[in-house]
Amino acid sequence: MIAGKTWREIRWMALAYLVVLELLAVPVILLWPDIYPDLQRSTLLRNPGMDWVKRIGDGVGNRDEDVAYRAWCAIMLFFRSTNLVCTAGAVLLGTGLFAREREAQTLEFLLARPVSRGRILWQKTWPTAVALVVPIFLVNASAIWWSSRIEMELPFAETMRASMHAAAFTLFFLATTTWVSVKCRVQAHVAAWVGAAAVLQIGVYLTQRIRPYSLFRLVDFDWYAPLLAGNLPLRHMFDPTAGPAFTSWLLLGASAFWFAAWRALRRLEP
Amino acid sequence: MSEAPAVALRGLTKAYGDRTVLRGIDLQVARGEVLGLVGPNGAGKSTLLRTLVGLVARSGGDVSVLGMDPAPNSLEVRHRTSYLPGETGVYLQMTGAQFLAFALGFHRRIDAARRDALLAGFELPLHARVRSYSAGMKQKLALVATLAPDVDLYLLDEPDRALDASVRLFLRDALVALRAAGKTIVLSSHHLAELETLADRLEFLHDGSLIAAQRLADARARLRRWTRVRLRAGAALPPSTHVERRERDGTLVVETEGDPLVWIRSLPADTFDAVECGTSRLEDLYRVLLYADRDDRGGAP
Repeated sequence: MIAGKTWREIRWMALAYLVVLELLAVPVILLWPDIYPDLQRSTLLRNPGMDWVKRIGDGVGNRDEDVAYRAWCAIMLFFRSTNLVCTAGAVLLGTGLFAREREAQTLEFLLARPVSRGRILWQKTWPTAVALVVPIFLVNASAIWWSSRIEMELPFAETMRASMHAAAFTLFFLATTTWVSVKCRVQAHVAAWVGAAAVLQIGVYLTQRIRPYSLFRLVDFDWYAPLLAGNLPLRHMFDPTAGPAFTSWLLLGASAFWFAAWRALRRLEP
Repeated sequence: MSEAPAVALRGLTKAYGDRTVLRGIDLQVARGEVLGLVGPNGAGKSTLLRTLVGLVARSGGDVSVLGMDPAPNSLEVRHRTSYLPGETGVYLQMTGAQFLAFALGFHRRIDAARRDALLAGFELPLHARVRSYSAGMKQKLALVATLAPDVDLYLLDEPDRALDASVRLFLRDALVALRAAGKTIVLSSHHLAELETLADRLEFLHDGSLIAAQRLADARARLRRWTRVRLRAGAALPPSTHVERRERDGTLVVETEGDPLVWIRSLPADTFDAVECGTSRLEDLYRVLLYADRDDRGGAP
């Protein structure tokens, strides 16, 4: 019942989120044939002051168009779209989970129902998580089809693997936002706190020497490009003994924040 | 073995940081009893009710609800109780019917006949969105959601909030029917006259403490000697009369020694238009208790 209520509350936002993701994906794919020659000619991307921008330039301007196209998708579909839209989506959908109930004075009513707080958290969380994660897979699956329209190929397995990583990152942000939503009384405060943390992380990412300390380092071109190129097997995403296992770390972080949210909710007094 | 009381509190204390909201409350409510909680805003009535349903963790003392401690057994307590919060929040985006289906869906047993009777009496437009409801309609909806579950104990924080007089009477009848069905009710209200007719027993809560039974008995005894007199124009009472206060409509409340009827008979026949004596009102008792409390602290009434 709580899950149904949550879904009714977020369904239009979830649809808007799906549409925005798709609208961002389609032009970057369809315009590729026009953009690729420009990227090959560009010297700006090849000689920047920052190494990571140079790697992007080398990738998208590669003489092998298949390599260049996958690099292009890594940067535009994943580094840009999912990082930007999924973070915003997780914050927008997550802020209201509990803080909105407090603002509307419905939280006391909900907590007084004969249902455990763990169940309340779970039934609010899973529809939101599904609403955030499923569009990532749908839009990236559609990118495979759009790519075929311009006679390019995006490999299914690699694209889904990259989508899996993007989904883990989105779940991490959702879990963080859920925790803050339990702690804060006002929805705007939740958005302000999580938004500030995200902006700080972006700032750190864009600062050369401290860049490795940014969360966005786990979801940038250096991670998505090898994933889409097929150079990172599934095991490297999840097994710390085989590779960096960034996907596992993101899921572990998400679990930690959900646990913190559950503990905070158990202690919450309306 | 006798059944545990519906509610048993011993030394219940609740503090938020330095602010103590409940101070050593001792209270017992028998099964099938209707207890009215009376007190000014901020006295601790809502916190007391929240503690009973396990929404608020106590700072000290013992709490037993239907024989269970609500701290470790909060879920089972909530299965066997139904609680109406004071700040009633209802989901504005739902229709009335959707809200009821949602709210009642959590409970093990619903008394369908009671639910239908409440809905008929409250005349709610169930297919309209709750956001279009007035404050009174929202309260009625929350009341149906609270009273329809078939549970042992009903905890109602100001159930008559935002309701007009006729609806309050209907609600009182519904609560009387609940009492007749052997259900236990603990409720708070600021409509003291109606509460007095409904409750088997009243407890006065002030500044986080229950007013002691002896002090309550003293106040009641004092009130019994009060007489309310509406004087005719130009008439005056004997100078020795102790006038307790003058009400808004000009009625004087007089404290008399001994039988008030004797005092009334001693007045000249054309002195008053109306006179009332022998019955103390809960409002008077409430005022006396609060005044006495302020006097104790040395403040002005």
